[in-house]
Amino acid sequence: MSFVELRNVYKSYGDGAAKVDALRGIELSVEPGGFVAVMGPSGSGKSTLLMIAGSLEEPTEGDVRIDGLRLSGLSRNQKARLRRRTIGYVFQDFNLLAGLTAVENVCLPLELDGIAARKARAIGMAALEELGLADRSNRYPDQLSGGERQRVAIARAVVGERRLLLADEPSGALDSVNGEAVMRMILSACKTGVAAVVVTHDAHLASWADRVVFLRDGRVVDQTNPPPSPESILQPSTGPNEPSL
Amino acid sequence: MSVKHAILALLSTGPKYGLQLKQEFESTTGDVWPLNVGQVYTTLQRLERDGLVESDDPGSDSAHNSFVITTSGQEELSRWLNTPPDLVAPPRDELVMKVLCALKVPGIDVNDIIQTHRRHLVELMQQWTRLKEDEADFDIGFALVVDAELFRLDSVARWLDAAEARLHRTPIKPQAGDRAPVLRRRLVRRK
Amino acid sequence: MNTVNQPSLANDGGIPARRAMIRWAWRLFKREWHQQLLILGLITVAVTATIIGAAVARNAPPPANSGFGSARYSATIEGSDPRFQSEVASFSKQFKPVEVIENQILRIPGSTMTFELRSQSPHGIFSKPMLTLVSGRYPLTGGEVALTPDLARNLDLKVGDAFRVGGASRKVVGIVENPQSLLDQFALVTPGQVEAATTATILFDIPKGMSLAAGNIGKPAVSASRTFLIPRSLTFDGVAIQSASKGSAGAFANPETISVAGLALGMLLIALVAVGGFTVVAQRRMRAFGVLESLGASDKNVKLVVKADGVIVGVVGSLVGVVIALAGWLAYRPVLESSSHHLISVLAVPWTVVVASMLLATVAAYLAASQPARSLTRASVAASLSARPAPPRQLHRSAIPAIALLASAFVIVWYSGKQDSPGLLIIGLIFLVAAVVLLSPLFLAALGRSGRRAPLALRLAFRDLARYRARSGSVLAAVSLGILISVIISGVAAVRYSNPLDYVGPNLAPDQLVLHVSGPPASAVKLGEGAGVPTGSGRAKSLGASANSIAKALGINSAVELDSVDANLRHAAQGRNWMGTIYVATPQLLGEFGINSSEVSPNADIVTMRPGLSGESKMQLIYGSNLYGVVAPPGSSQAYSCPTSDCLSNPVIQQIKGLPSGTSAPNTAITETAVKKLGLTTFVSGWFMQASKPFSNAQMTAAQQAAAAVGMVVETQNTLPTSSTIISWATAFGIALAIAILVMSVGLLRSETAADLRTLAATGATSFTRRNITAATAGALGFLGAILGTAAGYVGVMGWFMSGVQGGGLSAVTNVPIENLAIVIVGMPLLAALLGWLLAGRTQPSMARQAIE
Repeated sequence: MSFVELRNVYKSYGDGAAKVDALRGIELSVEPGGFVAVMGPSGSGKSTLLMIAGSLEEPTEGDVRIDGLRLSGLSRNQKARLRRRTIGYVFQDFNLLAGLTAVENVCLPLELDGIAARKARAIGMAALEELGLADRSNRYPDQLSGGERQRVAIARAVVGERRLLLADEPSGALDSVNGEAVMRMILSACKTGVAAVVVTHDAHLASWADRVVFLRDGRVVDQTNPPPSPESILQPSTGPNEPSL
Repeated sequence: MSVKHAILALLSTGPKYGLQLKQEFESTTGDVWPLNVGQVYTTLQRLERDGLVESDDPGSDSAHNSFVITTSGQEELSRWLNTPPDLVAPPRDELVMKVLCALKVPGIDVNDIIQTHRRHLVELMQQWTRLKEDEADFDIGFALVVDAELFRLDSVARWLDAAEARLHRTPIKPQAGDRAPVLRRRLVRRK
Repeated sequence: MNTVNQPSLANDGGIPARRAMIRWAWRLFKREWHQQLLILGLITVAVTATIIGAAVARNAPPPANSGFGSARYSATIEGSDPRFQSEVASFSKQFKPVEVIENQILRIPGSTMTFELRSQSPHGIFSKPMLTLVSGRYPLTGGEVALTPDLARNLDLKVGDAFRVGGASRKVVGIVENPQSLLDQFALVTPGQVEAATTATILFDIPKGMSLAAGNIGKPAVSASRTFLIPRSLTFDGVAIQSASKGSAGAFANPETISVAGLALGMLLIALVAVGGFTVVAQRRMRAFGVLESLGASDKNVKLVVKADGVIVGVVGSLVGVVIALAGWLAYRPVLESSSHHLISVLAVPWTVVVASMLLATVAAYLAASQPARSLTRASVAASLSARPAPPRQLHRSAIPAIALLASAFVIVWYSGKQDSPGLLIIGLIFLVAAVVLLSPLFLAALGRSGRRAPLALRLAFRDLARYRARSGSVLAAVSLGILISVIISGVAAVRYSNPLDYVGPNLAPDQLVLHVSGPPASAVKLGEGAGVPTGSGRAKSLGASANSIAKALGINSAVELDSVDANLRHAAQGRNWMGTIYVATPQLLGEFGINSSEVSPNADIVTMRPGLSGESKMQLIYGSNLYGVVAPPGSSQAYSCPTSDCLSNPVIQQIKGLPSGTSAPNTAITETAVKKLGLTTFVSGWFMQASKPFSNAQMTAAQQAAAAVGMVVETQNTLPTSSTIISWATAFGIALAIAILVMSVGLLRSETAADLRTLAATGATSFTRRNITAATAGALGFLGAILGTAAGYVGVMGWFMSGVQGGGLSAVTNVPIENLAIVIVGMPLLAALLGWLLAGRTQPSMARQAIE
């Protein structure tokens, strides 16, 4: 039973001679706890796909369902409620709101949902503690490093009981150590049942996902097969070249 | 890949038996590159012949024969550690061959070939990454080797992306025979 | 778990969400307040100016009850009148309780300065506000006296010294002053100590809600049933009864109301400019708003952030304004005290104005921020995230509501004039302003359409103005309102000054002077006061000699005798009535102004220079017994009847343009024929002289002293401006306001289309083209604003004028000087375009920077 489902999704911008088809007939489904990476060159439509899956953009055609609920039937306010409660979004940069501290940023979705500030603050602190960012909780975004900002953003994306994490190049602006930390966070969220869709052009980062979907010119052209048991890669037959003399 | 020098490095901490050397080698490299015992002994004999190691009991095949590194062995080890490997001449990469050939073969869509290989690469990388997360203890040797492999595969995947982009900009099916002479001439000129 | 269908606590997060949004808005303001410096500055300046202006206007004039204390009426009696004592007794009986203050004018020994010996109780029933103790104590017994500071200094006395006057010696026990008039110099003694009073003032009051009967006091009472008739026995020559009340105009004409009304208008203009400012700020924060929406903030929450920013800007701006105003008041109050000669309390700030200013500023800023708030939430979240503003919504609004508003404004203003209702007038003006605001986007739409075939710079400028109609519309509305204000002021001035009955204007030209015989001639009906000296009398001759010598001293050949009669013109209808003095058109008087006696038509009764007077119907000339009777309530048939005796109905009025125009100059005169016909007696009321150039201060002082020596008073030009002065200043003010608005706003408007400019630059357009676009934007807005403002202004002025409340001729309104119109409609847009061109180069870098953000 999939948590996110895109069926026959089309998206085009403009009309007439200036028409741009960003997505053509996308089929995608992600089960709860599943970790899917969407790879493709720039212009392939991967960011658009993520926006549509996250209710930030409306498809021109097609069906988007989250936890069985059809997005097209929702009003603007209902979609906002969905984003508060169910969907977490992480961008490549500029995730956090300047002027609010790290913990205030994390508990903002909770407050937007009507949870009183004190209670929301406690939940946010707990989330930051889990990630080892407790001592950074009262800093403003411009006082945090890039890696810390992204991790706070991910904390915000999974706080509450949100079940869907959508990330657009979350490690794009980070070095490999910080990038790996971010991917580990997403992975551990998936272990608790969160469905994650990560958009990236970097194979290194995409390899963290269970399944990699390849996008080209708005279409899904390929996806990886489920891997055999992990240790199999250490068998001599599939391992790297034998040591030569 | 020089097993010879790896053995010299292992002997630099003290005398060891052949079997010991095999086990230590494998654990240092994170069990990624398994080593044949016979290969170990053959290498040790060569090292002894070259005067880089000495054995307790020369000429003996016994498993309890321990080897020790000589002074010239130390020098050789030091020289090897500091010498950069030969990176200049591009290795004959099989994947590059496949893509170049695909350009010539009629009826083959190069882009499909590229995607196939890309998928394969990513699948491999997925498995390597999974190993990284499954390892309970943080074996630094293991992590380094896995990272090296991931970066290697990643670099190939990037080359595939670049190739695809380049092909996208230029015509896919060049006239057979026209291209090759041009390429050769260009390479010659660069030298 | 299907989290989506959980029951919600509140649809949009309720109070915690709102708190979070306000918290964020406040933090953003703390970080980025300098981005909104323009709006903050405007609000601060407006609030400061309003509060200080109101405080000064309220406190500069002498207190309304100056001389009355807490009583509403006072009766002043000459001390030399034999009926003095009985009068005081009768008043005391009639109006228990009363308070009597007696003044005896005394001369300071060895000088020409005078002071008053005043008997007044410091704890009097009514007179408490007129006395304060500076040092020492009040006199308690007959042998004690208290002096005012200047008097003490002049007499070289201090507390404890002996004060000798009229033989009696008293001990100085204290220093006192009249807080309501610090110039008042007197020696205070206990009641009954003044033996030979020069005047006595009786302060008295009548039950609340009633007013004293008409005729003896200034304006007639409103309704007969609420009058308290003063017995005729108490009134006689030599008694002047005055009332402290301001009349029904008080409610609207007081300084507080005017300053708040002025602030409201100013806030409207500021709000219109602020719309652009808040829009730019919202654009800069667009990505952050996108992130906020991706977190699930509802539209209301996002709008709340923008609106909260508006409220914060309004509150902070007005708070700073209040603080600066109070500081300025503290600094300026002592200066004002000494220049206005009465004490002003530190707390005498009009606190209602302070509160109203803060409220107005906050509301204005909130409303201005609401406009971008709405357009912000129309874009999809994805567009916000990529900082792509939503394409502006082009509603094709019809012109009908705007035109309907304009027509309604005309009707309401006309009706308010008919009913003489200031409230309706304000409503009409509000409708007019609303019509201008609605018409602005329509004008811009037309502009966009007209630019299709224009050269590139104009086409781009017009297209952007029409495209971002909401923002540029508000700027256009502000510019139009600036022009509208000046047109209305000019129109009102022109109409007001053109009223031949209620004649208004400067009293004299700078090179003219009038000598009055003991005070200005009576222009209103006052009991028994016929000021003047019979013509041909000895006194007239001697005064004439003095007048001529004064004239010679000023370098003028001779003074012309001004003869007057006890006659008055009256307009037998509702509305404003005749104001002015009627002199006699003697040959000397006519000759002074180069008018030949033959120019006067033989059957003319009155000659005047006032345009339009000769065409007035229902004029009556009243004289004799009709002059001094109790004036009947207006509207009654009695008020307009012309009895057979002592009244001439429809006198023949001839306009002679040569007569002088000053209100104190002989602008209207009765012909000698009419004097003979009606059997009127003439008396000399003064002398008129005309120099070849304006008088100097030294000449004035010398003339005043010489006049005072023979008991005459000099009148020279006062500070009332002429109609053309007012119109010129109003035009200049309107243009300055419009240019200021344009300079502030065009930068804001063009900064949003900076991306286009970069594209233009990339395609090789020079800075010349960029400057042209900015110049075209400023010039177009200026031109449209001038047209719209002038047209709307005329609608208002015509409506008011046609209600007839002002009287006057149509020519006054339609003959607006062409220069003024040309300067506004042609000159101002050109100036705006030039400034836009010059400033475009300077603001270029900042425009580019903003777009990249």
